[in-house]
Amino acid sequence: MNVGRTFLIVGAAIGLACASAIVVVAIAKLRRGRVAARSRAMLAPYRHSLITMVSGEDDDGQAREALSAVSAPIWVRLRPSVVAFLPKVRGLPADNLGELMRAHGEIDEATRRLTSRSAVRRARAAYLLGLVRDPASAALVLPLLSDHVADVRLVAARALGTIGDPAAASGILDALRTQNGQIGLPAWVAAEALLAMGPGIGPVLQIGLASKDPAVRNVCAKVGGHGTYLSTVPQLRVLLATDSDGDVRVSSAVALGRVGGAHDAAILLRHTDASEPTVLRRTCATALGDLGQHESLEALAGLLADDDRRLAERAADSLVRIGPEGIVQLEMAATTGQGLSAQAAGGALEVAGLRGQLAHIAMGS
Amino acid sequence: MIQFDFLGGLARVVSAIMNVVAGPVLVYFIVVNTSLLVLMGLAGGEFLRQHRRKGYAGREEAVASQLGQGVSVVVPAHNEEVVIVTSVQALLALRFARHEVIVVDDGSTDTTFERLRRAFDLVPVSREVPSDVTTRGAVIDVHVPRDGRTRLVLVRKKNSGRSDSINVGINASIESLVVFIDADSILEPDALISVTKPFADDPTRVVATGGVIRAVNACKIVDGRMVEVRLDKAWLVRIQVVEYLRAFMLGRSGWSRFGALILISGAFGMFRRDVLVEVGGLDPDSIGEDFELVMRIHRYMIDNGRDYRVKFVAEPVSWTEVPVTVKVLRSQRKRWHRGLWETLWKYRGMLFNPRYGRVGLVALPYYWTFELIAPVLELGGFVLVVLGFALGVVNTSYALMFMAVAYGYATLVTLVAMAIEELTFHKYRRWRDLGAILMASVLENVGYRQATAWWRLEGWWASLRGRKPVWGTMTRQGFGDDSPAVAAMSRDV
Repeated sequence: MNVGRTFLIVGAAIGLACASAIVVVAIAKLRRGRVAARSRAMLAPYRHSLITMVSGEDDDGQAREALSAVSAPIWVRLRPSVVAFLPKVRGLPADNLGELMRAHGEIDEATRRLTSRSAVRRARAAYLLGLVRDPASAALVLPLLSDHVADVRLVAARALGTIGDPAAASGILDALRTQNGQIGLPAWVAAEALLAMGPGIGPVLQIGLASKDPAVRNVCAKVGGHGTYLSTVPQLRVLLATDSDGDVRVSSAVALGRVGGAHDAAILLRHTDASEPTVLRRTCATALGDLGQHESLEALAGLLADDDRRLAERAADSLVRIGPEGIVQLEMAATTGQGLSAQAAGGALEVAGLRGQLAHIAMGS
Repeated sequence: MIQFDFLGGLARVVSAIMNVVAGPVLVYFIVVNTSLLVLMGLAGGEFLRQHRRKGYAGREEAVASQLGQGVSVVVPAHNEEVVIVTSVQALLALRFARHEVIVVDDGSTDTTFERLRRAFDLVPVSREVPSDVTTRGAVIDVHVPRDGRTRLVLVRKKNSGRSDSINVGINASIESLVVFIDADSILEPDALISVTKPFADDPTRVVATGGVIRAVNACKIVDGRMVEVRLDKAWLVRIQVVEYLRAFMLGRSGWSRFGALILISGAFGMFRRDVLVEVGGLDPDSIGEDFELVMRIHRYMIDNGRDYRVKFVAEPVSWTEVPVTVKVLRSQRKRWHRGLWETLWKYRGMLFNPRYGRVGLVALPYYWTFELIAPVLELGGFVLVVLGFALGVVNTSYALMFMAVAYGYATLVTLVAMAIEELTFHKYRRWRDLGAILMASVLENVGYRQATAWWRLEGWWASLRGRKPVWGTMTRQGFGDDSPAVAAMSRDV
């Protein structure tokens, strides 16, 4: 009897829960359909104006005016489209969209929300201020780089990069420090943000390259190379030769390949020695191709027979990129070299041929 | 008289067993279904978190990134002529800053290679494939597109199995992240952006990510892209859709949220290349190679005192063909369960070992209790209750209670999974598809669950008896992609 009663209770509870789940599914689907249809109908009169704005054809400002005047319920539905367009446009359309956001009080609201207790709101606010690229917002977003929530720090760094104010560069580097066992910012996010800030960050990079924190040195080395900051070259040489952190040495090698001079070929070659870590050897072989100096031809040709076949492949690719003299080295290795070097050289020449690099070189010479 | 004695004896045996197991069986089903609900709750929380982050996740920035990590997409292919061109075309068209596609033709005897050669104008090159990871199957040759720039590499090798082919792909890869994808899978255009996100946000700690896999059968594919999600008419497929939703999407998201994800599907998993090389790639002798790899990574990272994360991305990223015949389904489930058993046994030293944290103390005990042993209890309980009821030793109330907690509760779990799907990703747009999924979540309990439990036991038994593992052949239906572009690329073969 007891089991029977228990069954009735359990069965009824399960049945009720199943019915509730089905009702939730049905209501969710119906509601979504209705909301979408209603939004479509409400936004239809404004779609043309929005497209005119983002395509940069709103010469007389009529479209912006029309969209600035829409009521709050319509703006709520229009806003996601405007926000979605912002990262995809530049120049006048981006400025116009920013002004449209400002007209609807979005910038003021986002500024207020930078200090919200909700991490999601803080992140959304920082993201929006970054999207509209308002230089005045940089100082407001900067404190979020030390936020206790990783997501907020990350969005703040990206926003500062988009705004592009070099004054925020040292803040980005400070944010790289590990906090409570967690990295402050991913290196690539910090590097992208710094690169977006332009040439004004040169002095900050030089200070960063001398930092005690390897994460900071690593990012500064990356940015020094990718942003072609020639002033960083002397420090990059020292870091490649002496730094205690493997990542910093690798980033310095990449950077030297991009911004170094003839003198740096010998430095990079030294680090392709078998006694060096594999990653560094491979990176230096690639960097020598970026550097494009003739001094490295023979040494690169020597690497074609290395036991590390990935290193050999990179050396061969670098020889192709150095140009006609590198190709000659490869041809010699392919025809007269021993098994391994002939194989690496042959492969690189075939790919270069497919890419049309051999014909181009033949014509050039 | 003899028959009466036999039935009487049987009744006494069943009665004796039921006296011992009646309560525990009910408790087991309550616990297993409740644990699934808890995982779904965790997954729901994770979906909500990811949904909130969507507004500022910076996907466009990730596509334009100069410094983000590149991805090598490794596609092992053995006799995949039906799907290979569509699949590779879709992979090359993925939205991502920097990715290459490496197809490893594992000694196909059909026109897989020829179709690829013609479709992408491949030519042989003397490119070497390094030996960062030890492999078995000898590489025959390497082909690249004639333009020398399209980032597609085809490595032909002697047949040595899927895992070894992936290891060859790892060796051929040059990017820092490697993703394994089955040739019969179609990826969402933003799949790589979604699955690399955890690596981008936490590059030093995240070592592997998995993505949600869903059934592609009957969906509309044009130019290698999913354009309309539809539900297959076959109930066998519909039930698997329900299963994938519950176990793959919500179950694994829940484990990821809990910080103890131990299984990333071989059909779509992304790993840091350096970690793959350190652990030695996939084990070609393992039949549950995907599970084995993730377990090996867990053990390796913890044994070496490294701070790491294995994450699951809840967004649907991969669409794959699920078996349409009972024969293929049986073979698949046998293999899965055998792989589960062999891997759990291999890593039994991690079980209840506090050194391995949540993996050793929660995830592995769960998998032993509710995944490995489940078919024994599920089938045993069912047989005992049906037999006991027929013999009159199990009363109606108990039988109904068993049905309620074993099947009614399981149906509820599935319906909750469906509700979460509808509230979050709502991929099935048609009302009739939703209706069919609802129906499938009920029908799953009538025959399907019992059959799969039996097949899983077969797989386990085969392993215990030391029988040689058999991969079986998945008969591809193709994507039904008859778009002009794909038709032109596959022509004349």
